[in-house]
Amino acid sequence: MIRHRLFVLAALGWLSLPVQAALSPEQKRSLPPPVGRPVDFAKDIQPLLQNSCAQCHGRGKDKGGFRIDTRETFLQGGDAGPGAVAGRSADSLVIELVSGLDPDNLMPQKGRRLTAEQVGLLRGWIDQGLPWPKEITFARQPIENLRPQQPPIPPASRQAGEHPVDRLLQPYYERHKVGKAPPVEDRLFARRVYLDVIGLLPPPEELEAFARERAPDKRERLVHRLLANNHRYAEHWLSFWNDLLRNDYKGTGYIDGGRKQITAWLYRALATNQPYDRMVAQLINPPPEAEGFLKGIVWRGAVNSSQTPAMQAAQNLSQVFMGVNLKCASCHDSFINDYTLADTYALANVFSDEPLELFQCDKPTGIKAETRFFYPGFGVISASAKRPERLRQLSEIITSKDNGRLSRTVVNRLWARFFGRGLVEPVDEMDGPAWHPDLLNWLAEDLVAHGYNLKHTIATILTSRAYQRPAVPGGEGPEAHYVFHGPLVRRLTAEQFRDALTSLTGAGYAQPAAQVDWLAGQPESVRQTLLRQAAPLVVSEATEVPTNHWLTWFGRELSLTGRIERAAAVVAASDVFTVFVNGQAVGGSRKAKEPAHLDLHKHLREGINQVVLQIGAKPGAEAIKGKDGKKAAPPPKLLPKGFAGFFEIQAGGRTVSFHADDAWRYATGNEDTKPDLSRTAAWAAVPESAGGGPAAGLDARAVAAAIFQRSEMGRVRAAWVAADPLAMALGRPNREQVCTVRPTQATTLQALELTNGGTLAAVLRAGAEKLLANHPTGNRRLVEVIFQRGLGRPATAGEIALAAPLVGEPVRAEGIEDLLWSVAMLPEFQLIY
Amino acid sequence: MSFSPHSRRDFLQTAGAATLGALLAGYPRRVAADETGPIKATADSVIILWMAGGMAHTETFDPKRHTPFAKGLKPGDVLSTFPDIPTSVDGIRFSAGLENLARVMDRGTLIRSYTAGDLGFILHSRHQFHWHTGYAPPQTVACPHLGAVISRTLGPLNPALPAFINIGQRFDVGEGEELKAFTTAGFLGSEFGPFNIPFPEQAAQTIQPPLGMTPGRFQNREKFYRQLLARNPVMLHGSDYQRESLVRSVDNAHRLLNSPAARAFDLSLEPKESLLKYTGGIADLSQVSAAGQTRDGSYEKSTVGRFGLGCLLARRLIEAGARFIEVTTEYIPFLNWDTHENGHEKLVHMKKAIDAPVAQLVLDLEARGLLDRTLIVLATEFSRDSLVEGKPDKLVKDQVPVPDKIEDLKHYGMHRHFTDAGCVLLFGGGIKKGHLHGVTADERPCKTLADRVVIEDLHATIYQTLGISPKLAYEVEKRPFYVTRDGLGQPIRAILARG
Repeated sequence: MIRHRLFVLAALGWLSLPVQAALSPEQKRSLPPPVGRPVDFAKDIQPLLQNSCAQCHGRGKDKGGFRIDTRETFLQGGDAGPGAVAGRSADSLVIELVSGLDPDNLMPQKGRRLTAEQVGLLRGWIDQGLPWPKEITFARQPIENLRPQQPPIPPASRQAGEHPVDRLLQPYYERHKVGKAPPVEDRLFARRVYLDVIGLLPPPEELEAFARERAPDKRERLVHRLLANNHRYAEHWLSFWNDLLRNDYKGTGYIDGGRKQITAWLYRALATNQPYDRMVAQLINPPPEAEGFLKGIVWRGAVNSSQTPAMQAAQNLSQVFMGVNLKCASCHDSFINDYTLADTYALANVFSDEPLELFQCDKPTGIKAETRFFYPGFGVISASAKRPERLRQLSEIITSKDNGRLSRTVVNRLWARFFGRGLVEPVDEMDGPAWHPDLLNWLAEDLVAHGYNLKHTIATILTSRAYQRPAVPGGEGPEAHYVFHGPLVRRLTAEQFRDALTSLTGAGYAQPAAQVDWLAGQPESVRQTLLRQAAPLVVSEATEVPTNHWLTWFGRELSLTGRIERAAAVVAASDVFTVFVNGQAVGGSRKAKEPAHLDLHKHLREGINQVVLQIGAKPGAEAIKGKDGKKAAPPPKLLPKGFAGFFEIQAGGRTVSFHADDAWRYATGNEDTKPDLSRTAAWAAVPESAGGGPAAGLDARAVAAAIFQRSEMGRVRAAWVAADPLAMALGRPNREQVCTVRPTQATTLQALELTNGGTLAAVLRAGAEKLLANHPTGNRRLVEVIFQRGLGRPATAGEIALAAPLVGEPVRAEGIEDLLWSVAMLPEFQLIY
Repeated sequence: MSFSPHSRRDFLQTAGAATLGALLAGYPRRVAADETGPIKATADSVIILWMAGGMAHTETFDPKRHTPFAKGLKPGDVLSTFPDIPTSVDGIRFSAGLENLARVMDRGTLIRSYTAGDLGFILHSRHQFHWHTGYAPPQTVACPHLGAVISRTLGPLNPALPAFINIGQRFDVGEGEELKAFTTAGFLGSEFGPFNIPFPEQAAQTIQPPLGMTPGRFQNREKFYRQLLARNPVMLHGSDYQRESLVRSVDNAHRLLNSPAARAFDLSLEPKESLLKYTGGIADLSQVSAAGQTRDGSYEKSTVGRFGLGCLLARRLIEAGARFIEVTTEYIPFLNWDTHENGHEKLVHMKKAIDAPVAQLVLDLEARGLLDRTLIVLATEFSRDSLVEGKPDKLVKDQVPVPDKIEDLKHYGMHRHFTDAGCVLLFGGGIKKGHLHGVTADERPCKTLADRVVIEDLHATIYQTLGISPKLAYEVEKRPFYVTRDGLGQPIRAILARG
């Protein structure tokens, strides 16, 4: 024993210690010696205190009355007396306790003993006077960015300009000695905003027109013009939200119904710029088409209690909308923040069909979960209410204007997207402070004041001078003392890279992997045109036909002049159908009402053509009669029958298009009576009354959407298809977990995929063929086109001189491929400056 | 042909730039040290031989009473459908059809008491996820594959080869998405992810120019790129990290493709007599193909040699200095080891597919002096039984239907999924030779009776041979992620030569 203890309580830590600490001279000699070198608090002491002391004496914990929040509280000590005496480590209580000289009073009580080296470090530090930088604290951090706060905006000035973002930044620049920087030149600015708003490279014509324009507000107008392109905007931001909401076309869970897509809902929300609070409310309290987010990913079999669907919902909702990490607190009270197991379960309970019991590290505790949101004072969720009501209550709490965190989290994500780094970093730890709290607060309140209009915030940020500052080279990792100088150099995302290749070559993906309401993203005039083209032609029940007529035909003649260059159609019919061109079957659909895409190019000819749709199917003779005791097939339910379709033919340099209008005639019968259009007697005009009659179950909107989709075929963007090896190599996540930041590091495996992978090689081959078809002669011209489209600038004379021989004269497809590859590998192509 | 496994020149060319650079560059930080001090490695490389689909222990390395086929048998009376055979180790017998492996048993250790995770439903991909990551899905963070952990922790052995090479699995098959979910470096970062070679017979293509491009054109393209880069206006002023790392990664890819080690991928360079030992007599690589994906029983016949080529490729890559290789018989639902019916017949083929190549791999590495530093682990996600689904005392839902009486050969075999015992065969890398670990019951249920081994301990054993602590952890979202679940894995000292 060191000496007689006044309190020999086997209780907790510091509390049990005597008021006076002292070691005998002999014991002092046996202490590990203090280190001789100067001790660095941040490097030597902070990690030691963090790992060995903070769990009981930091982050708001004060076992034995001792807190290591600051140098002052450390010196002050706790119930057992002062923690340390500056300059006299051997007389310091902390050293006595960590030395282990008294096995009954050994610190830390939990975890590993300090090594002799560590004790020596602590001694050296105390002997050197306990240097402790003011900004380092182990105190419980206040929760930031929670309540709405409207900061004052500094006045406009010549230095700052008019823009609120810049006015807010001006004092920051002065404080941090960030010099004035001229805005980037027009082409660079345009490339940034095209990629940031719609995810595409600027087309050369638009880029040149923009560069020529003289109006002082042309940059603002460009931003607004791009934002007004609802469809392209939605296509681009789809990937961002898919990452956050872990929505994808393929992935675990889909195989047995353990997961549900929300693509159609998401596209509509983005294309119509649904207010953000409405979006979030629908994800938390979802209509069927948006329930995939809450449903999570359900694997068959026993699942760790921290990973039940209700727990997934709590974790994902907190991370995505609130910037709060509940993952640790799903197994036990968190060590990394102040959230508790009870907090997580109380939120999960909102989603659970059955009342939950707390499981600690997968072991039952017998404690019933509460039902509440983890921040107090935001409203109540009634535990007794049924699930739909609880979801409604939670959605109101989260989207309430009093919840300043919702807006701050999303504006911070947008800022991080455009500048390569958030106002708060990491972007999922919104409890921490922003490097410019007023700026974050202003952007968030401005979003709320504008009805949670995300496009408004995007426009605000992109029209600031801050966004137009020259790009700043980023470091390898996060910087300890970040100072904002402008956007970091960013890398194209996997989708931007692939779409840029489509812009460059014309070779995109063939088909989208999901069907959505494409009309939602179109301007009203386009929507009306598409709907007119999709209007169905229907023979109604008012028309009498014999009951043995299984089939209905619609037909028309078509006169074409010149060589047939292209001919395609989108057709949907009330029943299965086949399209015949000049007597040849050219395609159809085995599904009623589903639009089919047809290529008629090979079957049409110059002169008069016959186009006939055959709707319905005749059962076999045995099925009609009935066989082996089976009942005869019921007589054909003939009417109403009809179709909707849009045909577009390019012949002799002119485009002819037509849809289901009164040029079509109809006939009914069975297979043997297939009529010939030239025998006009067999055909009847579609009765007038049909126009206002039932549409035979045909959805004109779906057909119109298919007509629109036809125009995109072969140029479909990367966001619409499942990840291929190229996309995966370039960092598109597999969306098994929420992903809020994509890796941008260039890796060797990635470069291998780009260098000899089959996916990119096939894209470049197809692209080279397209370019060759459009530019069969003139290697110099082709080089110019590729540089102009890919890099948004003319090729230099040196580049042309270098590249023209590679492309060859006459132009070789292989040469184009190799040039395309080389341009695509340039940092100038892959990075956003 | 020979490769220098540790070519200093290769190292200087690619290190720093590739992986060493990546180690410093914002990838998850290593957090937990181990308490016991550094562990001395007994192996430099690992080969996992993956018996995908559930290899029945009683039909392979833990034979029980043989019951020949007869009409009217009750499935419950059948323990093994093959007779047993002796091995080179007294007291260890294998099931017939594994004669070559039986001859090399004296080089390795057989675990008979591996117990698969208790995951409720038996789902192949979920158990495979659990086997390969040590964690049962779903998880809040993207769990790294065993190979990615090793790649991240040790880096490549020869920097001119990817540290994690995955041979023989396609991902456009049933449950392919589930397989992708664990065939990944997860949060560790894609630098450490798998270099996938789905078709070993086409391995050479993975290091050759893209299909249709001659080597001359490929070189010319690279040369052109460098010239273009040199004239690029953006490259002329300033410098930034993103740009440097991009250019460096393209450099690395070309160095890797042009390195002498890359020749290891080209199986056409293998002498014919050696090739034949791995392919079951097929000399023409083009005859070994993954085509003919059918469920009528002919699939296994048509793909004989494919796994063997994977083993041959693994040997060549180990010679060239590869760090971690997995070769799979390939998981496709209801094919290969996934015997829901006709189990006996299918196993005749599966054994033929693995027996000679695996034995040859052991002998070849031994002959080259590489077996001592290469750990080979042959394993599967769970075992099978003709009657018991899951564990004897904990039956699971959705049982594979089994008739009351066997009237047809197609009902003769192990068609249900069994998790209470299973075999793992290990060779080299500091593992005991001629050793048996674990005991199972001789009557149904043929479950583990002693020395139970779970995945955490198997992983800890693999890590131990490589000098990696089971308590090693990487930081993700500020918390430690342990390489064995919660750092709890314990090496199976009884099977380590040094204990």
